[in-house]
Amino acid sequence: MTNTSESSSLQQDLRRTTRLLFVCTAAWVATTAVAAFGPSSLWAYSVSESQVAILVNVVAGILMLFAFYKHLLSMDELQRKTHLEAMALSLGVTMIFTVAYVSFETANLLANARPSNILFVMGITYFGAVVVLWLKRTAE
Amino acid sequence: MKNRLKVLRAERNWTQSELADRLGVTRQTINAIEKNKYDPSLPLAFKLAGVFDMTIEAIFTPDEG
Repeated sequence: MTNTSESSSLQQDLRRTTRLLFVCTAAWVATTAVAAFGPSSLWAYSVSESQVAILVNVVAGILMLFAFYKHLLSMDELQRKTHLEAMALSLGVTMIFTVAYVSFETANLLANARPSNILFVMGITYFGAVVVLWLKRTAE
Repeated sequence: MKNRLKVLRAERNWTQSELADRLGVTRQTINAIEKNKYDPSLPLAFKLAGVFDMTIEAIFTPDEG
């Protein structure tokens, strides 16, 4: 029965860390929205309130980072390897994209460059790499 | 690295899920190892050896060359 409990422990840990990650990510997204739209919509650009909103956002981000780390540790080794490889790929693609993106802006070929586009590329690359790598290794 | 996991599992009439349960990994991990798409870590290789009551060398053989 030890073996079965080992497997169910893996599943329970994964469920628990996924829930924690979901809560922390939702908190980070919510605090990001408050920090982004609060100055214009809620407190008329008051400096102290903006500082507090940004600080809360950073703290939520750090909590999300720890939650993701715990989530990564709760995975089984193939899942973890897949996610780490996807992260490496995502980091490389983001670095190349960022340099090209900045070069476009420096050369006046791009108006209104937005940092959120870089995050978008990072997220899409990470998600796509996880799906492709996972399917490549586990396809029946 | 090649392995005899599929044969050893079949000899014991275990499904991939049952073996995964015994090892505390996902069924997909067992499938990937059986299809030589993933080489397990040393701790997992030791666990496999323990489950089958064999040595690691009796389960895994290195690729030639």
